[in-house]
Amino acid sequence: MKRRLGLEAEKGGWELKRIIPREEYCIGCRLCEIHCIVQHSKSRDIIKAFKRERRPLKRVEVEERGHVSFALQCRHCDEAPCITACLSGAMHRDAMSGAVVHDPERCVGCWTCVLVCPYGAVRPDGAEKKVVGKCDLCPDLEVPACVANCPNEALVLVEE
Amino acid sequence: MQTYDYAIVGNSAAAINACDAIRGLDREGSLAVFAEEKRRCYSRPLISYLVMGDIGEKGMYYRPSGYYRRWGIDFYPGTAVRKVDAERRLLETSKGERFKWRKLLLATGFRPFTPPVEGLEEARYLTFVSWDDARAMIRLTSRPLRALVMGAGLIGMKAAEALHSRGCRVAVVEKMDRVLPLALDETASEMVAARCREAGMEILTGKSVSRVTAGGGYKGRAVLDDGAEVDFDLLVVAVGVRPRTELAEEAGLECRGGIVVDEHQRTSRPGVFAAGDAALAFDLVRGEAAVNALWPVAALQGKYAGLNMAGREVPYPGGNSMNAVEFFGLPVLSAGIVNPPDDSYEVIVRRGENGDYRKAVVRGDLLVGMLVAGKIERAGILTSLIQERANVRRIKNFLLEEGFGHIHFPRSLREERIVEAVAGLTRADRERGRG
Repeated sequence: MKRRLGLEAEKGGWELKRIIPREEYCIGCRLCEIHCIVQHSKSRDIIKAFKRERRPLKRVEVEERGHVSFALQCRHCDEAPCITACLSGAMHRDAMSGAVVHDPERCVGCWTCVLVCPYGAVRPDGAEKKVVGKCDLCPDLEVPACVANCPNEALVLVEE
Repeated sequence: MQTYDYAIVGNSAAAINACDAIRGLDREGSLAVFAEEKRRCYSRPLISYLVMGDIGEKGMYYRPSGYYRRWGIDFYPGTAVRKVDAERRLLETSKGERFKWRKLLLATGFRPFTPPVEGLEEARYLTFVSWDDARAMIRLTSRPLRALVMGAGLIGMKAAEALHSRGCRVAVVEKMDRVLPLALDETASEMVAARCREAGMEILTGKSVSRVTAGGGYKGRAVLDDGAEVDFDLLVVAVGVRPRTELAEEAGLECRGGIVVDEHQRTSRPGVFAAGDAALAFDLVRGEAAVNALWPVAALQGKYAGLNMAGREVPYPGGNSMNAVEFFGLPVLSAGIVNPPDDSYEVIVRRGENGDYRKAVVRGDLLVGMLVAGKIERAGILTSLIQERANVRRIKNFLLEEGFGHIHFPRSLREERIVEAVAGLTRADRERGRG
């Protein structure tokens, strides 16, 4: 993977997409989690992803308590603690999109990003090689899978 | 004589993050990096991964190969800075070259501490802080050896793990009564030590080496304070590190066991900044300056030093003692105060199934420390509460719960954090700015 390295302090020049949860519409159905898993699976087929292949890490998680629920994934922070803390340089800002992205080839699984992410949005992947995984804003899709598949518009995409 | 707008002494976490920050604000200013080692910036904490074969040499580099050229940085590898004149704003390198500078960053890092142990000076031993050390370790362990590691801090334990993976029989001697005494609490130390013992390592805590006898090559014998003798084929000394402040001291900068800096990473002399393991910077948990010789802390300081050097006045939000480790499949994360010094702290502990262990240290309404072992997902939320000095009075009982998260926050705080998409560090900045 060719890295397009963006500078942390450099702002602007990109149109960063952000996913905003709207808890008043979230019913906790977790379809976002399911479609996130499918989108990040090898086949991108819902049956294969859940029944035949190694199930990928879900990069969005529904938090729920009583009647309140919302889905949360990486915020792609302006001042991303995970980028500054990363030991290997695997976590970086994509110079084109402005997204906080992660290069699994360079990740050693030291868990420093897990230690510093204020949202708990970077997590150990559980794959054979020790790496972390996080929301990549679905670079192959116009609209990220979690947003596109939310039945209630409880996740919306905002472009800055 | 050439004049640099920005000159950086050092080429590791603090230096490179300073470069990133400077170039984010100033593309034109001339910028030089003086590196003692011949290599471009590599990640020091990855040397154990290199020895263990988890990564290759290419995986060691912190930035892509064209980094310096791409960002217009004059890179001087293998060039130590010998002298700094803070008055006339000059520096002199080991090669005798002299340069002028307008802003200078001292990111001189640390050096391993050599303990006053009888016979150690005559013995050959390894330290474990550089790529060269890692290479030496790989070369020396081409066949399995009996290895002795002095010190069970982070560096010593990583060295021990690396040696173990090379098939060595490893013994670790630690003066304190447990392994990783600074990063972990008693319970987590014991969990790590148990894993290491299971793997076949010998962990000798509460003991120190009182004498070393060289026995040719790297071989020798150590006599412990209880009289026990340990023969070794390879000795690794890892009993701590000390900030490298000589250059700063000679230049007349105020140093107190670290280069003294203000909240903008400025030293006592105008135009001179310091960051990283050599700097005595603000620890927001302790509420005072401290040296936290840790990669992420150095990186953050470097970033703020760079921003301030390039003219954006932003205070360093402060760091804290943060550690992420994993030994033999047991990950442990900690931040802030995990060993409270007195009973003015409240300690909350939770043990999960599978032997998971979680601990929160609260003082007043503030979370000041946390430690998680085993299941580490979402621990960063706790770290951010420490870092932000958030009031946790209303959520204290949930901190260690399975699934603790923003759902437990008051809605206004939750929306501020999530919807405004603002990172914890930025928030801390703003609060310090307001305060």
